[in-house]
Amino acid sequence: MAGTHSRNGWIVWLTFALGLLLSVSPLPQFMEILRPLWLALLLAFWSLNLPHKVGMVTAMFLGLAEDVLYGTLLGQNALILTLITFLVLSLQQRLRMFPMWQQCLVILVIFGLAQLVQLWLSALTGNRQPTLALVLPALVSALLWPWVSFGLRGLCRRYKIN
Amino acid sequence: MGVRLLVLVVLSVALMVVDARFALLKPVRSQMSLVLMQTYWITDLPQRLYQGVASQFGSRTELVAENEKLKTENLLLQGRMQKLAALTEQNVRLRELLNSSALVNEKVEVAELIGMDPNPFTHRIIINKGERDGVVLGQPVLDARGLMGQVVELMPYTSRVLLLTDTTHSIPVQVNRNGLRAIASGTGNPERLELRHVADTADIKEGDLLVSSGLGQRFPAGYPVATVKEVIHDSGQPFAIVRAVPTAALNRSRYLLLVFSDNRTPEERANDAAQAQEAEDKRNGTTPIIPATVPKPAPATPPATAPAVTAPVATPAKPAAHSARPVKPAATKPPAAAPAPATPAARATTRQREE
Repeated sequence: MAGTHSRNGWIVWLTFALGLLLSVSPLPQFMEILRPLWLALLLAFWSLNLPHKVGMVTAMFLGLAEDVLYGTLLGQNALILTLITFLVLSLQQRLRMFPMWQQCLVILVIFGLAQLVQLWLSALTGNRQPTLALVLPALVSALLWPWVSFGLRGLCRRYKIN
Repeated sequence: MGVRLLVLVVLSVALMVVDARFALLKPVRSQMSLVLMQTYWITDLPQRLYQGVASQFGSRTELVAENEKLKTENLLLQGRMQKLAALTEQNVRLRELLNSSALVNEKVEVAELIGMDPNPFTHRIIINKGERDGVVLGQPVLDARGLMGQVVELMPYTSRVLLLTDTTHSIPVQVNRNGLRAIASGTGNPERLELRHVADTADIKEGDLLVSSGLGQRFPAGYPVATVKEVIHDSGQPFAIVRAVPTAALNRSRYLLLVFSDNRTPEERANDAAQAQEAEDKRNGTTPIIPATVPKPAPATPPATAPAVTAPVATPAKPAAHSARPVKPAATKPPAAAPAPATPAARATTRQREE
């Protein structure tokens, strides 16, 4: 049925806009270091559940947006988010079968890898973060994954997004 | 899927290289920022709303108290300002006598902070003035208490400011007490700067005020930067360890000042000032009188103008300098010498307007 091909797709974009807002929202000093990778979480969820709609190209454009927001080199976050989406997509079949805690573990590993690439890229551009504390966001994101996942799945069911 | 990944990765890397090496992507970036920078504005909304509500419901006694406080502060500042005006004029005059090019002429504009950089390892802030407001790359940013940093990225209506305490930032400073020069580098801690390569025997001690020395050609000279907090002489280290605390409230200030220092030559500056003065005189309908403070029309007889002089300090110095120096400066560039006196007056009026 052609009519059901794409429905309520704007909600996906709305969540991405919200993700962009969250990724620059002000936080207390001690929590800055723990800021979850909101866009990566959203991308992981949507590319798992709507792989025909959200893929690496979307990830790339969102990454470019994030680059402009953060003032990093144009393409840095784009590369990171593309890599994350690629890894999630290639593990898609297995990830959907996993129980939640196992999904969390996989997310932790993927995001941790992405953050390491991030560290490497920032080192290349001259602002190397002094510590390995930058894998903390990956940990926080992995802990947030169940909630994000349940919440967005509820949203999916409610608005019959596909 | 693998092919697509490869293409996208190559594309991103290419973008990064181009962005790092060339200015090709600057317009793209500024167009994107036009839309995207709104997110900082949106995330700042709750704060704004809170401030609005707080000012609506502020109690009367609080407001009265604040008003009192501001009035006294204003009085104090204006008192200081009067002295400053006289001092500035005197300074300019003395510098003119020395034929020095370093005239103090800076304009400031107020900007508001709208966001912090989300990356906890960099100290950068976003302000609500951008290219369209005349902000330029490398422009110094102050708050009420001292230097804060410099503009590192321009967008149409916003710009990004690198703070002094960022690890990639250093600023040439000098000790206000004795003029000792040093370089203050950021440490990544918002309350600390470190002076690099200060000799163990250097005359620097706790409580010294560090001001910008203007040597890097980027920051104007003479603005307070930090106060020295501790000086550690460790015999195992080749240099003294000097730690300082920035005077500006780097992580608290919401209203900042952008400094527009002009890099025109003194002649251009003098001409501009003279033109501005003429225009003003025309508007006011008054005959262009020579500013009372300056008796400089080259061959003029000093006694004729002397009664009009307000600051008596310079009066004896003037004719002496003129007579001591051969006719050359007055004769070679009368246009520069004549309009130059207009500068202090013009500046005084602009200052009043800024108030």
